[in-house]
Amino acid sequence: MFIARSEYDRGINTFSPEGRLFQVEYSLEAIKLGSTAIGITTSSGTVLGVEKRITSSLLETSSVEKVVEIDRHIGCAMSGLQADARSMIEHARVTSQSHVFHYAEPIGVESCTQAICDLALRFGESASGEEEESIMSRPFGVALLIAGYDEEGPSLYHAEPSGTFYRYDAKAIGSGSEGAQAELQSSYHKSLTLQEAEELVLKTLKQVMEEKLDANNVQLASVTKDKGFRVYGDEEMKACVGRIEGDS
Amino acid sequence: MAAFTSYVSSAGQPSYSFPQQQSAPSHASRAPIQHSFYPYTDNGGSTLGISGDNFTIIAGDTRSTSGYNINTRYEPKLFRIGGEGSEHKGSKIVLSVVGFAADGHALKERLDTVVKMYRYQHGKEMSVNACAQRLSHILYNKRFFPYYVQAILGGVDEEGRGALYSYDPVGSYEREFCRAAGAGASLIMPFLDNQVNLKNQYEPAAPQGLEKPQLVPQPLQRAATEELVRDAFTSAVERHIEVGDGLQMMIITKDGIEEVFSPLKMD
Repeated sequence: MFIARSEYDRGINTFSPEGRLFQVEYSLEAIKLGSTAIGITTSSGTVLGVEKRITSSLLETSSVEKVVEIDRHIGCAMSGLQADARSMIEHARVTSQSHVFHYAEPIGVESCTQAICDLALRFGESASGEEEESIMSRPFGVALLIAGYDEEGPSLYHAEPSGTFYRYDAKAIGSGSEGAQAELQSSYHKSLTLQEAEELVLKTLKQVMEEKLDANNVQLASVTKDKGFRVYGDEEMKACVGRIEGDS
Repeated sequence: MAAFTSYVSSAGQPSYSFPQQQSAPSHASRAPIQHSFYPYTDNGGSTLGISGDNFTIIAGDTRSTSGYNINTRYEPKLFRIGGEGSEHKGSKIVLSVVGFAADGHALKERLDTVVKMYRYQHGKEMSVNACAQRLSHILYNKRFFPYYVQAILGGVDEEGRGALYSYDPVGSYEREFCRAAGAGASLIMPFLDNQVNLKNQYEPAAPQGLEKPQLVPQPLQRAATEELVRDAFTSAVERHIEVGDGLQMMIITKDGIEEVFSPLKMD
């Protein structure tokens, strides 16, 4: 199998005879190595939760940034190669601001997601001086969960390196995604409150994480109508983690 | 706004694109000949917009002039923006342009394309205030070779209230309740100030003196506003040679755009 593949997975934009783009498929594998990230939508807002892998006791945990703001009403969680996400997020931020500049209104969450995905397939071997120079030589190795609140209400999108995106009620990505997605499948219902969603995110992360979950190795964030995107502070994280520990 | 009140050049001559020949060129004199091309023409005409509680009326005359000539008696200055196809089905935004007609057309085409693209890209209709901001940018992008037009944009905002925006040629804009533009602006605007914003009107029963209270503008009724527009134009036609022939009105409500045409004096 691998011998057959090797002919076609060199050229980044070369289809295999079966009609596959191997480099894109491999990039999806890179995400499966990443830390787990979960997003859940409720009627009052969307909750994002990520696992922080604390590889050393000397590591400053606050420097591990896996949930970031794109605009006041949009935030995103990532899994995979962190560095690749930077350019995607930069692009999303610029697009969001330029939308406000041009139209005097906040950008829609779907439009913002589309803008990120437009970037995803701009890789390849185009020579310098070509009209549209690609910015990456390979596909991105990161998947994003994009949470936002616009006139349509709260929403959650999953964007992949292949440039496709889908809207989800609840979605898990990263190394623990299979187990986590199964848990979300059975526990999610439309009438979850924001608090219940926070708890479900933490409980699901707890199940799939290798280390024992505590207030330092997970990070929650939420997007609501009133407060917009917000990353939870230390105190709030302790309170949330305390709530699920009381239960179990 | 104030800087853009008249298209007539300082010499007071009607404006043409090419210099009008004063006399036959004499080759004998050997005097140097200066060639020139001025890319703008003033096509006259006048527009006006008034916004009410749940509607906006935009109106314009249909005469197109070039100096003392009438190019045509029916050249609309009002354009539907957005909506479906070339009929603009379902559109709820109207742009009026007065000044240089060719620039007006170019501007309307640009804005219409932008609004249609917006629907494809964002999956929703563009709001008037988003459109207003976008129009401002389109105008400012040509800051050093402007669209020589005074634009008025009308629609209903997201709360269902009438929305009216007026522009100068380089994109300065403001949301207002009423605005007149073009050749007859100096005749119509004071009338609107008095009749729409009730300027210089005071409580008749109140005692005289400095303390007498100004009348407070009330939300306009649609039928009364239409009459106001008609009156404004019939008076402007009497006093300005570049205004006349026909009055085109577009009334924008939450249900869409209604178009009304009525004749004006053709002298």
